Amino acid sequence: MELLITMAVRNLGRNRRRTALTALTVALGTALLTVALSMLNGLLVTTLEKAAGQAGHVRVVDVDYARREQLMPLSENLPDTAPIVAALAADPDVLAAFPHIAMGVTGCLESEEIGEKFALLHGAPTAYYTDVLHLDTSLSSGAMPTAEDEVLLGRAFAEDIGAEVGSTVILLGQTQDGSPAPARLRVAGLVDLGNRTQNRQLWVSMEKARWMADIDGGATEVLAQVRDYQAAGAVAARLRSHQTLSAYDVHAWDERSPFDQIGGVLVTIKSVVAGIIVFITGLGVLNTMLMSVLERTGEIGVMRAFGLRRFDTVLLFFFEAIAIAGLGGLGGVALGAVGATILGRVGIHLGEGASKMPATIPINETMYPQLTADVLVTGFLLGLLMAVVGALLPSIRAARIQPVDAMRHRR
Amino acid sequence: MNLLLCFLAFVSGLAHAVTVEEILTKIDANLTYEARESSLQMVVTKKGRSKTYRMHSFGRGQEDMAMEYLEPARDKGTKMLKKTDDLWMYLPSFEKPQKISGHMLRQGLMGSDMSYEDLMESSRWQTMYNGTIAAEEVIEGRKCWKVELKAKESTVSYPKRVIWVDQANYIPLRQELYALSGMLLKSWTMGDVRSIEGREFPMKMVVEDQVQKGSVTEIVFEKVTFKVALAEEVFSLRWLER
Repeated sequence: MELLITMAVRNLGRNRRRTALTALTVALGTALLTVALSMLNGLLVTTLEKAAGQAGHVRVVDVDYARREQLMPLSENLPDTAPIVAALAADPDVLAAFPHIAMGVTGCLESEEIGEKFALLHGAPTAYYTDVLHLDTSLSSGAMPTAEDEVLLGRAFAEDIGAEVGSTVILLGQTQDGSPAPARLRVAGLVDLGNRTQNRQLWVSMEKARWMADIDGGATEVLAQVRDYQAAGAVAARLRSHQTLSAYDVHAWDERSPFDQIGGVLVTIKSVVAGIIVFITGLGVLNTMLMSVLERTGEIGVMRAFGLRRFDTVLLFFFEAIAIAGLGGLGGVALGAVGATILGRVGIHLGEGASKMPATIPINETMYPQLTADVLVTGFLLGLLMAVVGALLPSIRAARIQPVDAMRHRR
Repeated sequence: MNLLLCFLAFVSGLAHAVTVEEILTKIDANLTYEARESSLQMVVTKKGRSKTYRMHSFGRGQEDMAMEYLEPARDKGTKMLKKTDDLWMYLPSFEKPQKISGHMLRQGLMGSDMSYEDLMESSRWQTMYNGTIAAEEVIEGRKCWKVELKAKESTVSYPKRVIWVDQANYIPLRQELYALSGMLLKSWTMGDVRSIEGREFPMKMVVEDQVQKGSVTEIVFEKVTFKVALAEEVFSLRWLER
């Protein structure tokens, strides 16, 4: 074995141009893979983690609300959220639980016509806005509301109605019974969430939303944040058996539409992209390794005549491929890391189509690749896989060569 | 001689065959007015839960209408003013009258099964629809004409109506309101018909949403006066703010 490894390493220096070409193929493939995985990682993290946080890692709603949630039926509310919040907060994996009201409103500036411009109004405790939605870090102007008669507007809605910080806006929604739910509020700040649909929202205090919806002490849902959002399913399953919560619909974010579909789709996209890159780079390695086998047919014949077994022949080319992939892979990961880091700072503009995604899937117009340790390790390992895939066929071909034929070929 | 009598009876019968135009004219005579002041109660029931509103309203011709909500406490002071094709609303929280437009007009009036557009539909039926008498049927023991109406113009809220008109008093005891697609949107019944100041008027109306099942609105007029002199100020923005 040691001899085979020594021979494999020595063989790398015999045709340096070919070795460099193969290593470069692997390096470019690995670099491309590292950047692609970082991009998908960025998309996955910024979309799913953000969406999961906004939607509540675990959500408690009325059973009828869950059935008709597309319509956001205010009448199917949780009349008293205090015991629900207490039950959630008692779970060791729940970090915080927030009552939340979401309702459609139409709005305008004072004294203008109302009924043409629409937005999604949120009512929740301030901690939900700062700790979960991080609205305080998304302010493009003004400040977070501090009084009940203040509102935070998404930039797109503010532009629609011509509102600025300090403007007085008129909002009109419907109570849970359908009566008018009016509000006259001062704009405390404008928020830019990087997505036009997301920016067509507004945020008011819990008390104001409760008054508007006419749900005193209640909410349409209670959203819980858990320690590990990817393990929210297990927490939700445990909470469903809680005495206080058993009458409600309790589900983790990835058990609810549309997230139950998106996770699988993104993993499939990730696998397909990685598979295509591995295949194409593998073809490059296959090409150079085949050249190597053809070039060394006579030599293989001599070695076989001296007693090199077929399996050892496969191993020899396999070790060569691993050595080249090791060098190329390290270079590729380094190159890819530089590319991903630069793109992570500059960002990739996804176009206006991204901003037309529904508010539940908050894809930003600009996506930032995220380079993580697992992306580097995956990139390197897949680089090795490229070399193994590319070297497999030539190795088997070399092992099948008969010594007599090989030596005749040499002549 | 017998032949002559038969001929005269036939001609006389023809002379009394009612037309759709006559029916619509008489419905308009009952339901439209120069001036009206009324106190009414509206009970909105959705999925078994009811909410009761009490209102006071003023109407002038087919164009102008003003309404003030007296109950419940949350909605007390809310006022609406319809002037020709414009709708204004005053909500105490707004502090100023607000003009309502666009999609908002198609929403339910106070969560009821009547939309703001229903409230604003001001033209007489005679000018909005033409149609045919489809049958004669008995509705709640009353002999009715079943009349199928089609809108003359596409701007009408309900392009198709099927109405059952009481042959005795020309009140549409039952109506079915359809969308352009032919989908049944609402059913509307009228009852407790009383003679008030020379006209027949239904003191009770029930509107049922046929799309969102389980949603019913019952309107009961507690007091209606037609011969009333209404001050010009009632139909002004100043009245809304007062």
